Amino acid sequence: MADTVRRRIALGVILALLAVLPAIATALGKPDLVTLGTQVAIYAIAAISLDLLIGVAGLSSFGHAAFFGLGGYTVGILAFHAAEGDLFLGLIPGVTEAAIVWPAAVGVAGVAALAIGALSLRTTGVSFIMITLAFAEMFFFLFVSLKTYGGDDGLGFRRRSALPFINPRDDVAFYYVCLALMAGFLLLCGRIVQSRFGRALHGIRQNERRMAAIGLATYPVKLAAFTLAGAGAGLAGALHANLLRFVSPDMLHWTMSGDFMIMVVLGGAGTLFGPVLGAAAMVCLQSWLAQWTEHWMIVMGPILVAVILFTRRGLWGLIGGGR
Amino acid sequence: MSALLEVRGLIKRFGGLIATNNLDLDVLEGELHALIGPNGAGKTTAIAQLAGELMPDGGRIRFGGVDITGMATAARVGLGLARSFQITQLLPEFTAVENVAVVLQVRAGHSFRFWRKAREDARLNEPARAIVGRMGLAARADIPARDLAHGEQRQLELAMAIATGARLLLLDEPMAGLGATESRAMTELLAGLKGEATILLVEHDMDAVFALADRITVLVHGSAIASGVPEEIRNDPAVRTAYLGEDA
Amino acid sequence: MTLLLEQALNGLQLGVMLFLLAAGLTLVFGIMGLINLAHGSLYMIGAFAAAWVQGRTGSYVVGIVAGLAAAGAVGAAIEVTVLKRLYDRDHMDQVLATFGMILFFNEAMAMLFGRQPLMAAVPPFLSGAVEIIPGVPYPVYRLAIIVVGILVAGGLYFLIGHTRAGMLVRAGATNRTMVRALGVNIRLLTSAVFALGAMLAGLAGAMTGPLLSVQVGMGDRILITTFVVIVIGGIGSIRGALAGALLVGMVDTLARAFLPGLLKAVMAASNADAVGAGLASMAIFILMAVVLLVRPRGLFPAHG
Repeated sequence: MADTVRRRIALGVILALLAVLPAIATALGKPDLVTLGTQVAIYAIAAISLDLLIGVAGLSSFGHAAFFGLGGYTVGILAFHAAEGDLFLGLIPGVTEAAIVWPAAVGVAGVAALAIGALSLRTTGVSFIMITLAFAEMFFFLFVSLKTYGGDDGLGFRRRSALPFINPRDDVAFYYVCLALMAGFLLLCGRIVQSRFGRALHGIRQNERRMAAIGLATYPVKLAAFTLAGAGAGLAGALHANLLRFVSPDMLHWTMSGDFMIMVVLGGAGTLFGPVLGAAAMVCLQSWLAQWTEHWMIVMGPILVAVILFTRRGLWGLIGGGR
Repeated sequence: MSALLEVRGLIKRFGGLIATNNLDLDVLEGELHALIGPNGAGKTTAIAQLAGELMPDGGRIRFGGVDITGMATAARVGLGLARSFQITQLLPEFTAVENVAVVLQVRAGHSFRFWRKAREDARLNEPARAIVGRMGLAARADIPARDLAHGEQRQLELAMAIATGARLLLLDEPMAGLGATESRAMTELLAGLKGEATILLVEHDMDAVFALADRITVLVHGSAIASGVPEEIRNDPAVRTAYLGEDA
Repeated sequence: MTLLLEQALNGLQLGVMLFLLAAGLTLVFGIMGLINLAHGSLYMIGAFAAAWVQGRTGSYVVGIVAGLAAAGAVGAAIEVTVLKRLYDRDHMDQVLATFGMILFFNEAMAMLFGRQPLMAAVPPFLSGAVEIIPGVPYPVYRLAIIVVGILVAGGLYFLIGHTRAGMLVRAGATNRTMVRALGVNIRLLTSAVFALGAMLAGLAGAMTGPLLSVQVGMGDRILITTFVVIVIGGIGSIRGALAGALLVGMVDTLARAFLPGLLKAVMAASNADAVGAGLASMAIFILMAVVLLVRPRGLFPAHG
C-alpha cells in the first residue's frame, strides 16, 4: 500500500502545482509558463483518451491525431464562417459560442472515430496499427487539399470560442478552463475504466480469445472504446485550436499521433494519470531541448528508443513502483 | 431422445491435409461423452469447430435443434455452448475471483455499464467467490491468475467454463499437465459436475475417461471409428488396434 | 489515349518502386513479427547516399552501389543494436522504438545535408525517351526502373519459391516457432532477410532520386503508402506485396492524373481541381477501406 500512498502524495503535489502555476509564472516573470501549462493540459486530454485504447483495451491505434485535428478544424471552420458571415457547405452558419462549438467538435471527432473504428477493428495486431495510421493520413491529405480553409498553411482566426463570464483574451482564465476540463475528463475516464465496461476492456487486452469464449462479442465493446477515445481527442483538438487560434493539417500529421503514443507510453500506459505526466514531460523536454539546438530532435529519438528498450512502466510506474 | 449436440459429416481441410474427415457425433442431454483418439487424430480441430473458432469446410452442427455451423463463438455461448482450453487461457492480471466475475458479468449481458465500480459489485463477486470455492481455490481466490500453480490454473480454467452456465461444456484436456494427485482431484470435480451440465470431454488420461464417461467416441484420422459405452469400446477390436493396443 | 498509356506506365513504375519497399517490410514482418517504421529511413538513406556520391564521382552506377551499401550498412547496424532487442516485444514497443529511429535519422540527414533537396541527375545512358508503344514516347529512365523492378520480382520469386533458403523464409512466414524448433538458425535467416530488405529499400531510394527530390522526410510519406500496399496485399506474402504494389501504384497515379479532369464535367473548374486533388490523394486509402470491407486480411494473406 506504500505505492498508493506515494502516488496519492505525488498526485496531490502535482495538482497543487498546476493549480498555482499562473501565480508562479507571474512571480518568475515568465508568462509563457501559462501557455506551456495550457498545452500540457490539452495534450493530456488527448493522451488520456489514447490511453483508454492503448493501455486499457490493448488497441494500438496509430491514428489518434486524426480525431485531434478534426476537433480542431471544427472550431476553425466554424470560426472562419462566422467571420466571413457565410455558411459552411451552404447549410451551417458559423458559430463562436464554445457551448455549441466544443460539443460539435467532440461530436464530429466521435462520428469519425465510429466510422474509422468500424472498419479498422475488423483487423488486429499490426494490420490495425497500419490501418489506423493510413486513415489518419487520409484525413491529413483531405485537409491539405482544402484550400478554402488554408490548406497546407493552416487557418487562423481572431478570437477564441466565446465562454460565459470569461474574457477570450485572458490566458490565465483559459488555462483554468483547460485544467478543469482535463481534471473532469480524467475523473470520467477513471470511472469508466473501473466500471463493467472497463473491466471488459481490460479482459480484451489480456486475452481476447478468452473473452470471446465466455460469450462477449468483443467488436462492439472495442468500437465503443474507440469512439469514446476519438471524442476525447476531439475535445483536446478544439481546445488546442483555441489556444493557438490556429489550425493546420499538422494537427493530423502522423508524427502527432506518434507524439501522443509517446506521451502514453512514457508516462505509463493503462494508468490514465501516467499520460498526464507523459504530456508534461514531452512538452517540457521539447521546449527545453529546443533552447539548445535547432536539431533537438536528434536527441529525442534515441531518448525514446532508450525508454522503450530499457524501462517497463514509464514515469508513473517509477513513482508508484507498480500497477 | 434427440441429441443435444448433433454433428453430421463434418469436414475440415488444411491445404492437402484432411483434419476432420466426415465426422458424425451425437452427444445426448445429461451425459458425459468422452472423445478420445491418438495424437493427431483431430480432436482439438474438432473442438475448435464445435466452439466456433474454426469454420468447417463441410457438414453440419446442430445444438439444441439449432444449426450453429456458421455461428460465431460468442453467439454459441449465448445459446449455452461453452468450452475450456487445453492450453490455459486466463486473464493473467486478474485474480481468480475476478476471472470468474468477468464471466458472470458477460453472462449477465451487462458490459455496457460505464459508471458503477465493477470491483465492488457484490452481485458479481459473491457468486464468483462461491464458484471459485467450489473448485477448491478458496484460499487462492485473490491471487492474480498468472501467479497460480499450473494445477490451480487448470481448475480456474474449468471454473470459468462452468460459470458461463452452459448446457453443454466442451472440455479440452482439462487434465493437461497435471500430476497424479491433481488429476484425481480434477476427476472428482468433473464427476461432481455430471448432473449439472452435458459434457463433451476430450482427454488422454484413460483412467479418468473410463471412470467418468457414459459413452465414448474414438477419433482416428479425423473420423469416428467407434462410438458406444465404455465396455463396448474397451472390447472393440478396431479400437484396440488403432489406439488402445498401443497404450497400456 | 496516349496520356492514358503514359500514365499507366507511370503507375506501373510507381508500383514497382512500392514493391521493392513492400517486399522487404512484409518479409521481416512475416518472419520475425517485427514492424519496422525505420524502413522508410533506409529508403531515404539510400537516396541521399546515391545522390551525394553521384554528385561527387559523376557516376550514376557508383551512386547506386553507394546507395545499396549505405542502406545495407545502416540496416545491419540498427538490426544489431536496436531491432534484435525488439523481436520479442509487443508491436506497440516496436512501433515506438522504430518511430524514435525515424526522428533520429530525419534529423541526422538534416544535419548532414541541410533541409534543401539534393539534386540527382538521370545518367546520360538512361536519358531520353523511347517509343515502346508506337506514338507514345516514354522516358527511358522510368522504363529502366520498371525493368529493374520486374527483375527483382522475378529474382525474389525464384529465391523464395525455388531455393532452400526461400523455403525456410516461407516456412518462417507461416510458422515462426516451428522453424525455430526445427533447429534452423533463425538469427542468421532473419539477419539475411533484413539485409536483403534494407538493400531493396536503398535501391528504391537510389533509383527514385533523379525522379523526385531527395529530401529529409521523403521516407515517411512512402512508408505509409507501403503500409497501405501491405495491408491490401496481405501481410507476410510476397505475392500480396506485388499485387498490392501494382494496384496502389496504378490507382494513385491514375487518380491524380485524371480525377480533376473527370470532375470538371460535373463542377466548376476551380472546385474540380481542388476537390480532385484532394480525392486523388485519398484514393489509395479509400481503396484500402474497400478491400478491408471485403477481405479484412488482404488479398493474398500468407497464412491462408
